[in-house]
Amino acid sequence: MKADTNQFPELDKTKFEQRGTEFKLGIPITNAVTVGNSIAVGFGDGTVRIFTSGKSSEPLKAHKGIVLCMSKDGDNILTGGDDGRFLNISLDGKISEIGNFGTRWVDHVTAFNGSLVCSSGNIVYLWSPNHKEPKLFEHNSTIGGIAFDAKGRRLAVSRYGGVTLWKKDYSNKWNSSELNWKGSHNKVIFSPDGKYLVTSMQENQLHFWRLKDKIDSAMSGYGAKIKSFAFVDDSKYLATSGAKEAVCWPFDGDGPVGREPICLPYVGNKLVTFVEPFPNENAILTGLSDGSVFLSEIEKASNTIIIRSFTEFEVSAIAVTKDCSHLLIGDMGGNILWTSIWDEEKK
Amino acid sequence: MEETNKQVPVTVLTGFLGAGKTTLLNRILTEQHGKKYAVIVNEFGEQGIDNDLVVDADEEVFEMNNGCICCTVRGDLIRILSGLMKRADKLDAIIVETTGLADPAPVAQTFFVDQDVADRTKLDAIVTVADAVHLSTQLTDHHEAEEQIAFADVVLLNKIDLVDESGLEVVKERIKKINPFAKIINTTKCGVSLNEILNLDAFSLKRVLDVEPDFLTSDHDHEHDDDVTSLSFVSDTPLDMEKFQDWFSKLLQTKGQDILRTKGILDFTGESDRYVFQGVHMLMDASPMGKWPEGKERSSRLVFIGRNLESMNLKEGFENCKSA
Repeated sequence: MKADTNQFPELDKTKFEQRGTEFKLGIPITNAVTVGNSIAVGFGDGTVRIFTSGKSSEPLKAHKGIVLCMSKDGDNILTGGDDGRFLNISLDGKISEIGNFGTRWVDHVTAFNGSLVCSSGNIVYLWSPNHKEPKLFEHNSTIGGIAFDAKGRRLAVSRYGGVTLWKKDYSNKWNSSELNWKGSHNKVIFSPDGKYLVTSMQENQLHFWRLKDKIDSAMSGYGAKIKSFAFVDDSKYLATSGAKEAVCWPFDGDGPVGREPICLPYVGNKLVTFVEPFPNENAILTGLSDGSVFLSEIEKASNTIIIRSFTEFEVSAIAVTKDCSHLLIGDMGGNILWTSIWDEEKK
Repeated sequence: MEETNKQVPVTVLTGFLGAGKTTLLNRILTEQHGKKYAVIVNEFGEQGIDNDLVVDADEEVFEMNNGCICCTVRGDLIRILSGLMKRADKLDAIIVETTGLADPAPVAQTFFVDQDVADRTKLDAIVTVADAVHLSTQLTDHHEAEEQIAFADVVLLNKIDLVDESGLEVVKERIKKINPFAKIINTTKCGVSLNEILNLDAFSLKRVLDVEPDFLTSDHDHEHDDDVTSLSFVSDTPLDMEKFQDWFSKLLQTKGQDILRTKGILDFTGESDRYVFQGVHMLMDASPMGKWPEGKERSSRLVFIGRNLESMNLKEGFENCKSA
């Protein structure tokens, strides 16, 4: 069996693999973030590489151990690491330290218009533009995730027992309110239209709140923890990992209560580990636990195409450049595929 | 099978403040040079730790939202272990040092409950460092001290140079009464051969087969109801699988909070395989473990460590599971 497949290895490669560049780096990929038409990738050895069409990508030594989290602020990359540092990295590779928490990990980073935010332990630190000292927001447990809404006026902080919602009033004072739900909440996101807040939990389920009336509900039925989820096509669907299908909940109209999700199946029957919306389309890139990646239209599953074949390692990062010309896939085995999306880019 | 080799062993060090946990930790780190360890400590640790990779933890105990009140996990451990598994270099082992008053159950349960943690790491053993001088008082005054002994796979009875022989025997009897399966090692300044505390694989079902408890015949008359004790049962008559499952699952559901640890090897009527299980409170790991060895008597053995065991009619319940 094995000899047969090795005989014609090229046949196993997708057109994207043939067209693009594959890197076998052997270092787990922890994060990827789109910064304009570049994609920055964080690794389990503390390095960051920046992929830009037509340029080589050299490793930048950012953190001592692991790049735990990444985000961006305009054209800059933000990273947090297990060396307790919160860093700003420019696209030309200059690294500057924003904060340092010693042996305490920087678990989450985000930003909005020059306001830089990270969390370490149970505290969120916010550096306003032109402020040297951060403002501190304390919580009752270690923070599971942080997110700004689309306007930067609300900052959601997930934690044990729910979410603390910080709201900036017109005198720039932050006031908090609590959204409680029993259990430990991890990653948190706002819907792009600002109407919903969604968290993933330690249990194999998601929880959401409709913010105008604080109605909340669980989305359950998953076989594994939901590590990756994102809103697609403005706020029409919430695509989620954690099952053997990409589960897409409808968030248009009155939201998902009482409605069935659309489940997109994939060959191989593997666990979905990563979902990334395809910009400006009602479509998602889905990464599986065996390393394979597919592009699917949510309302037309028959239009699914394979982007990358399997590598044996779970997909841990997918990102598309802002101009939709290139995409990058990374996995826990340290394999990267960096490829143009359209045929005409073929050299 | 291959998966097992990829799992990084995690050793949990418990023990009261001043018992010598940090001394032991530093011994492990200096003697096992050339190996890559991650050490997870509480920020209120006693003294400096000499290692490249020290992670501060907060000992956050989370209730799982699954309707089971004794199902608690260490949220900080899930976060840190999941993070450490993304490292480029492979760790040889991870050591978790708990604070003096920590209950080991949430630590152990974390390895049952979180799939990512269970896939990539395994609980190797719980090692409890006890102060031979003060343990008796601590056991009387703090239920956490009892739990630390009850959950221990190894009890390092430290500072034995500071007690006389009869005093040492009293402490050892006390430990055995709580937990007859823990290996007790006498030390001064935690001087122990490291292969007696590392890579024990004490939580694997295979190791349950080695369980040969000293069947203590101590009377339970003088004990308070909430003292931690242990009870063992043996039967040469095969058990009825359905009856056993029915009794045992109900028992754990209703008394799981008081039952700290269970282990057992079961001989079911009509089954050629040995059934082995071990559990922490309500959580259970169980599997058939191959055929009974030829020429050896088949028998069922069942062990409980917990509080108020006398009130649970365990003997009667177990007897009722025997095949008619």
